[in-house]
Amino acid sequence: MQQKKGFLDLLIQTLSSMRLTVFLFLTLAVCSIAGTLLPQGTSLEELERHFGPSLSWWIEIIGLNDLYRTGWFRAILLLLCVNLIICTLQRLPKTLKLLQHRDEQISPEKLEKFNYHTEITIHRPLDATRTQLTEIISKAFAPVQPLSSSDAFRAVAEKGRWTRWMVYVIHFSVLVILLGALLGSVFGFKGFMNLAEGESSDEVMLAKGKNAIVLPFQIRCDDFDVSFYDTGAPKEYRSDLTIIDKGQEVFKQSIRVNDPLSYDGVTFYQASYGSILKRAKVELQDRDTGTTHQLTLPYREVVPVPGTRDEIEVMQYQENFSNFGQAAAIVLMREGQEPVGSWILIDKPEFHGNRIQNYRVKVSDVERGHYTGLQVKRDPGVWFVYIGFIVMLTGIGMTFYTSHRKLWVWASPSKGKSNATTVFVAGRTNKNSLAFEQEFNHLCARLQNDLNPKQH
Amino acid sequence: MDSSLLLSITTFAYLLCALLYLSGVLFRYRPLLIFGSVVAAFALVIQTSGILLRWRESYQLGYGHAPLSNLYESLVFAAWAIMLIYLIFELRTKQRVLGVFPALFAFLAMAYASFSTQVDSKIQPLVPALKSNWLIAHVVTCFLGYAAFTVSCGISILYLLKKTQSDNPHPKGVLGFLPAARQLDQFNYQMIVFGFLWLSLGIITGSIWANSAWGTYWSWDPKETWSFITWLVYAALLHARNMQGWRGPRVAWLSVTGFACVLFTYFGVNFLLSGLHSYATK
Repeated sequence: MQQKKGFLDLLIQTLSSMRLTVFLFLTLAVCSIAGTLLPQGTSLEELERHFGPSLSWWIEIIGLNDLYRTGWFRAILLLLCVNLIICTLQRLPKTLKLLQHRDEQISPEKLEKFNYHTEITIHRPLDATRTQLTEIISKAFAPVQPLSSSDAFRAVAEKGRWTRWMVYVIHFSVLVILLGALLGSVFGFKGFMNLAEGESSDEVMLAKGKNAIVLPFQIRCDDFDVSFYDTGAPKEYRSDLTIIDKGQEVFKQSIRVNDPLSYDGVTFYQASYGSILKRAKVELQDRDTGTTHQLTLPYREVVPVPGTRDEIEVMQYQENFSNFGQAAAIVLMREGQEPVGSWILIDKPEFHGNRIQNYRVKVSDVERGHYTGLQVKRDPGVWFVYIGFIVMLTGIGMTFYTSHRKLWVWASPSKGKSNATTVFVAGRTNKNSLAFEQEFNHLCARLQNDLNPKQH
Repeated sequence: MDSSLLLSITTFAYLLCALLYLSGVLFRYRPLLIFGSVVAAFALVIQTSGILLRWRESYQLGYGHAPLSNLYESLVFAAWAIMLIYLIFELRTKQRVLGVFPALFAFLAMAYASFSTQVDSKIQPLVPALKSNWLIAHVVTCFLGYAAFTVSCGISILYLLKKTQSDNPHPKGVLGFLPAARQLDQFNYQMIVFGFLWLSLGIITGSIWANSAWGTYWSWDPKETWSFITWLVYAALLHARNMQGWRGPRVAWLSVTGFACVLFTYFGVNFLLSGLHSYATK
């Protein structure tokens, strides 16, 4: 039992140590470096091609190809959170105590031990000095709080007490940001959808896994447009989208990169685009009979060949098929036989392989369109993250650029001189001592000047 | 008069400036240092006009964007930010002997931007991904952070040089001409705090921008990850110094390490790793 308690104490002591914090920071840094050396999300086959099977096995086990999602990386993050929380819980009572501490025992001997202290002699009695002393310090520094005292005048003045909390604010913001990230990954999703011009859909392919989810509304792509600069560099990708909710067109909006659309908590981002075939004009020459058919084939629609029992369909289209230019995969369906298909090279009409069964196939014209690639996301945690960001920045600024400054004042009639007052002032700051030194010296010089009777 | 002429003048002015600071320290001759500061201030004014002129020229070309969009423009801005921060630091602390490294780094950035064949100095139109108001906020905040860390690294190097003679309380020669080690440590800390605040702002603006462009505020892209690594190193430094009482050489070495991370985030990621920030390589 004794030993167990010893272990627990040791554990808490370790978890609350600043050494562990620094160690975890540097460990996280080193581990993160490992993740940037290998493209994340590389598949096992690709790994094996580059590194061979045994090394790939190790990479896969350690998770180097998906490092930031591995359990051990998250464990380090979690450990950092635990460290942060325990540190906070340990230090919070100390801060509270420090702030509640009243310094009743002010004496010249004590004040002389401060880093910043000074002794001023005022050629006026204490009663005449006290009010003005309080006034000047209250105005120039902070409200003076007199302490009860029988013989001498004792007081403290402080400002920036709240800045002692700022470091906790930063630490709190880290937790808020991580909470936001957690909420996003539990209650949100990320995926993509490809929409041809004119097409509408409610199905989003998820980025993780091979599942799809169905949105409670439809989105339609009315038009996609890409424009270029004179230099040939892309200028703008734009999709005109319409939201259709319960059969009603709710609203239309154009999206661009950097300018997404949000509806019902789901956001659509312009991510990619590509070409699709809308219609192909095809010339079929029956080599047995010599007859030629001119057909217009809408993409993926079965069209009968007149005067025969054959049917024909464009199944696939590629803009650049193995560097031979455009190609269409056309399938011929003949009653009682298996369908037969072939890639027809559109840009090389004389190619001898442009045939299916007894037909010679020539694509005389294509009508092309675009599809737009949309990134689709729902992230209910993002506002936590943003609030965390703001809180963190405020906290960092305040922690490093504000300080808790405190003055102690002691005043009493000078010994042996009934008409004079001796004033001791001492000061302390928890940060930025250079600036405080200036402020302190300035204030003391002012007290010396303003409290003494003007000499004409 | 066009912007490239002004920026060429700037490049050589920073070289002159670095040489003046260096000789001022080596010969322990203060007028050279003052001359160095004057040249630095003039160079900064010329560079500022050069950057503003380039901005105008991009409008005349019909592109119309802030000159912060590619490697060339970011290098020029980095040099500008380093010298701006250094000169403000010099004014506030009245220390001129620390100018060697900032001026040298500013010159190197300008020289790399102007003379490397890898860097294209032409004004290019903005690709769709960069068309956002976040561009200015993100680049400016990041580079103010990087610049403060650059100055801090220079101070750290001087500190470590000074410490090689730590046994001698009153070192003679060049090292004796430098401020006291304790003071260097203090300056270094101030620069790191300043840089840390701006780096945090830079990462956060980048994160918000990524969320509005791609729908994810953090995707562990190499650039993001390296900026996070840099942030962690400086966060470790601040915790170690404030809570563990680290001072002196250990802090200086951590600061140099942090600056190495800055350099890798800026250049290494662009040239060695691939990711979303690929437009920064041209």
